[in-house]
Amino acid sequence: MTSIAAPETKKAPLFGEEEKRVILDPLLDQNPITLQVLGICSALAVTTRLDVSIVMGISVIAVMAMANVTISLLRNLIPSKIRIIVQLVVVSGAVIIVDQVLRAYAFDLAKQLGVFISLIITNCIVMGRLEAFAMQNPPWRSLLDGIGNGLGYAWIICVVGAFREVFGSGKLLGYEIIPDAMYEAGYVNNGLMVLAPGAFILLGVIVWVLRWIRGYTEN
Amino acid sequence: MNTKSNSYVMVFTIGLCVTVSSVLAVLATELKETQLAAAEFDRQKNVMMAAGLIERGDSRPRPELEALYKKRVKSIIVDTRDGSLAEGDSKEQVVALNAKASEADPKDANAFRMIETGFTEDGRLDAIILPVSGKGLWSTLYGYLALDADKNHVKGIQFYKHGETPGLGGEIENPEWTAMWKGKEILNDKGELVSVTVKKGKVNESIPSEVKHYVDGLAGATITSNGVSKFVLRDLQAFSTYLQKK
Repeated sequence: MTSIAAPETKKAPLFGEEEKRVILDPLLDQNPITLQVLGICSALAVTTRLDVSIVMGISVIAVMAMANVTISLLRNLIPSKIRIIVQLVVVSGAVIIVDQVLRAYAFDLAKQLGVFISLIITNCIVMGRLEAFAMQNPPWRSLLDGIGNGLGYAWIICVVGAFREVFGSGKLLGYEIIPDAMYEAGYVNNGLMVLAPGAFILLGVIVWVLRWIRGYTEN
Repeated sequence: MNTKSNSYVMVFTIGLCVTVSSVLAVLATELKETQLAAAEFDRQKNVMMAAGLIERGDSRPRPELEALYKKRVKSIIVDTRDGSLAEGDSKEQVVALNAKASEADPKDANAFRMIETGFTEDGRLDAIILPVSGKGLWSTLYGYLALDADKNHVKGIQFYKHGETPGLGGEIENPEWTAMWKGKEILNDKGELVSVTVKKGKVNESIPSEVKHYVDGLAGATITSNGVSKFVLRDLQAFSTYLQKK
């Protein structure tokens, strides 16, 4: 069993090298969307506007943090035969919590996001991190890993959301940012940006740019 | 402890399920009231949008909008048998009235219905907002159809709850489509109720009766469109006694 890595006898620093790596890696070098190409479905579906993307991002961060910590706490108790279904139960629970809270305090956005909040359950990033990280690591690190990967997902969909809102409807967070003079001069909003293919193209460009910056090649 | 034994797996599963369900049950109960209040506020906003009192995406804070609703919108109870108004303005009163009516005649179990009326700043009746609801393709649609005070011209339509496919049937929420309803007439030249029908395809601008009584269909959402036509007609018929009263 490899799960009993490094016995935690001495008090490890709260933010050691390892912790920093765990939370920063998923932002760029191990970004779940651009490098692992996970969670694409929701990244295409909920990014028509920036505010919706932000709420979706926060929801995913919350779900991943909750699920990662819970699974990490239970990691030595979970029978390996049924570990996937146990992870699913925990993820579903966390998603329902987020969904209920949104419905109480952000009704409009919850309506906008509709089924996609529930579909966080099927987001491969969540299950992937539980299986790959939380099952082997202590709670604190798992929490950071959850937040890190959630942030990695969130910032990408926020960038896509911002682009789509600006070029698709000329607004940002609901405020007009493209001046009327532009429209009078013949500028038109790009209809493609409002549709899913627009997100697909943008996402492709982002993946390409990020991989090019980090010098990543597929082998 | 042997985490591989079947009995351990059973105990673990049951324990996990019970814990997770209790957490969710407690949370759902705790949040219920806030959620209902949020849903009610959403309904009020849709009534006001249908009546043209506010625009979609009005950014005023919630208390201000709630105050506006209180001031400009009044609920009234209509006796659909003869179109007269009944005393009262709450859902409980509608239930009580219907219970009484159905005792006398079981057919009248739904005789009393609540509608909203919108008023202008100076207290003149400006809009009659009728609840409309019915089946689309996947779900029941709930919305409001607002008429001008002349009980003929459509002022607006809004759907606030549905489970149609986003981008197809879900386009019933699209402001560009709901804007097409504005100014349509529900009565024909002879004063008979014909309602407004969602056409398959585009409205032919050269036929006056079509311009008056039809709106463009939603592409890729024929069944939702037909559903809307059907239940708008049905709900208008239900209120016909009231609507024909001058």
